[in-house]
Amino acid sequence: MRPFLPRRDPPPVGPLSDDAELLAAVVAGRTEALRILHQRHAPWLRARLARRCADPDLVDDAIQDTFVAVWRDARRYRAAQGQAAAWIWTIAVRRLISALRRSGTGRDVVLPTEDHRSPASSAVTQSAEDAVLVGVEHGDLGGALARLSPDLRAAIQATVLDGLTVREAAHLLGVPEGTVKTRVMRAKARLRGYLA
Amino acid sequence: MEPTVSVQELTKRFGRKVVLDGPTLRLGPGVTGLLGPNGAGKTTLLRILATTLAPDGGRIRALGLDPADRAQRTELRRRLGYLPQDPGFYPHFTVFELTEYVAILKELNGRHERHRQVRRVLAEVDLADRARTKVRRLSGGMRQRLALAQALLGDPGLLILDEPTVGLDPEQRMRFRALVSRLGESRTVLLSTHQTEDVAALCERVVVMKGGRAVFDGTPAGLAATATGRVWSSERSPAASELFWRTADGRYRTLGARPPGAVPAEPGVEDGYLLLLGGDARATA
Amino acid sequence: MNTQWHLPGELIERYTTGHLEAVQVMSVETHLMGCARCREAVPYEREWLTAGWERIADAVDRPRPRPVARILRRCGVPEHVAVFLAATPALARGWLVAVTATVAAAVAVAHLVDSTGAAWTVHPLLFFLTVAPVLPLAGIALAYGPRVDPVHETQAATPMAGSRSLLLRALAVLVCAIVLTGLATPLLPGPPGLAAAWLLPALALTATTLALATRVAPPVSAAVLIVAWSCAVLTTGGLTGDGLVLFSPAAQILYGAATVLLIPLVHLRRARFDPGEPRWNRPSASKN
Repeated sequence: MRPFLPRRDPPPVGPLSDDAELLAAVVAGRTEALRILHQRHAPWLRARLARRCADPDLVDDAIQDTFVAVWRDARRYRAAQGQAAAWIWTIAVRRLISALRRSGTGRDVVLPTEDHRSPASSAVTQSAEDAVLVGVEHGDLGGALARLSPDLRAAIQATVLDGLTVREAAHLLGVPEGTVKTRVMRAKARLRGYLA
Repeated sequence: MEPTVSVQELTKRFGRKVVLDGPTLRLGPGVTGLLGPNGAGKTTLLRILATTLAPDGGRIRALGLDPADRAQRTELRRRLGYLPQDPGFYPHFTVFELTEYVAILKELNGRHERHRQVRRVLAEVDLADRARTKVRRLSGGMRQRLALAQALLGDPGLLILDEPTVGLDPEQRMRFRALVSRLGESRTVLLSTHQTEDVAALCERVVVMKGGRAVFDGTPAGLAATATGRVWSSERSPAASELFWRTADGRYRTLGARPPGAVPAEPGVEDGYLLLLGGDARATA
Repeated sequence: MNTQWHLPGELIERYTTGHLEAVQVMSVETHLMGCARCREAVPYEREWLTAGWERIADAVDRPRPRPVARILRRCGVPEHVAVFLAATPALARGWLVAVTATVAAAVAVAHLVDSTGAAWTVHPLLFFLTVAPVLPLAGIALAYGPRVDPVHETQAATPMAGSRSLLLRALAVLVCAIVLTGLATPLLPGPPGLAAAWLLPALALTATTLALATRVAPPVSAAVLIVAWSCAVLTTGGLTGDGLVLFSPAAQILYGAATVLLIPLVHLRRARFDPGEPRWNRPSASKN
């Protein structure tokens, strides 16, 4: 139960409200706003979390924990700090790590992409769109990243793209912290080499 | 039509006053309306059907169960939903807490299932947003919707609603009718009302009560048809001793004998009802 | 960030099914971070979304149990019973405050009389011992019935109507009263055996109230017995010169016996608590 509720009713929210409005309504205790946020963000969260953890139940648990955390901490979101989606993602990935820790799993639940990637879908099938895409989002970096080994790339993705600390990345990848640090260092060195 | 509820020669008196004088009726699936002036015994009949009052005589059968038998009465209570005439509440409870309390009374003991049902019924009556509001801060119309939500808990096969549209504004009343209409598709609904528009819009059958008896039991069209040949429309107002009133188009509608200069008018449910009430009609119209 | 270009559906599908290059995955994800339209283009199953939302709503929207319910839960009472009892009108603050105040007053009176010594002919514990057994009765009168429970009519149409609600609440009221009075007992002057002489009368009076309530309304039953008890204490005290004759060991045995006999009686007649119970013997012609 919220310890303090503003006396006036907040403006009504609907499917057309933007994320910032919805989060403000969540601060005011409107469950309907949280439901709309869930409807908007849970699908892509599931997809993105599933790329880091092969267990769908853990992913669902993480999503549930995420929105409960959003309900609790919505007042911490400041519109100036960027899109709500990014803020929600930082919560979600940490909830996934907690869920992984709770279930005490090892390597077998992480990095499913490496298992699913079929040998045929390497550079040969890269369509023109994909090439544009990689170029648009990462520029030369994309090509350089592609040349990294999967372990190094995963380490970079966890620390740079997902914004995790070394300890959190270690939990996510299922390797010791020292290994993460080494891999990130080697990956950065290689990238510098590729891009030079 | 296999009746789901049948009542035979029900009697009830409070002290020396006879409130139910042996009405007999049968209800089937769908929505049945109960019309009647104050004191006709509607609420008493509904209370007896809802098992909150025992009759003095007569037989009842509801959903295949006899409420006179204790075990069957408890089973019947599991399958019925009741909205009383003056639904009460604990003012300091929130909407959710009060609904949850009634859910426990209906034996929804598991917390997860109970909360799911509470949320479901609150969503049905559009009170989901108010789940955390204290009941004393709700308006009259919202409290009525809350009471309706409580009646819907447990998905009952028999719904007994005592004057459910009291306190609702026209928009809410329309939404209520849509909801009850939908509910009536798969269960038996008995609702009492003063408003003949509710009956005309909503009910497949209507029972008119007067003086503790059922004086009409049929369809709304049938009730309207009882007024055939006794409904008149005129431009000038008739003598004051007739039963008449002014309609929206500025003409005068009279029931009973033909006043001078009047033409026959199409009878409606309200006309049939008022004519059935006879002498009481003047007080009700 | 290019906001005009959007992910083609086929790409999204390869992304969600895991058939996308790791680097492209990173690119897709970076794009998703900045493009709401593509985020909402990710497909999902409706049942998955609804089921997920229900779990969240239950975690988020659950009302905080009332203090009384939490205490009961701590004592091992099942959750639905705890929530039910917490709603009992008598367990509301009013009655609990009244009981506490009364008990405190009785203890104070006892000490006052005791300290003023032989000037009084009344035993110091008399007030306490007279008042303590009727406290549960007052609670029961306030715990059930159309006059004290606004939700009574709704409750009467539910499976919990009648004896289940009434007896459960009566038990809760009795336990509360006994606990509160019991806490005060050590504070009383005088021999401990005498200070605890209220317990069996309390049980006997409660059982009698419930038995009588199968005939008349609970408030009437409780009022009758409170008056009867008070008169009995006063008159026997006046007649025999010993104010505590009703608390003697012989009397205690009677109270114990009465309680043991009345409880089965209440159980047998419990259908009478139900307002929907027919009040006469009907032939079983209704078995059709």
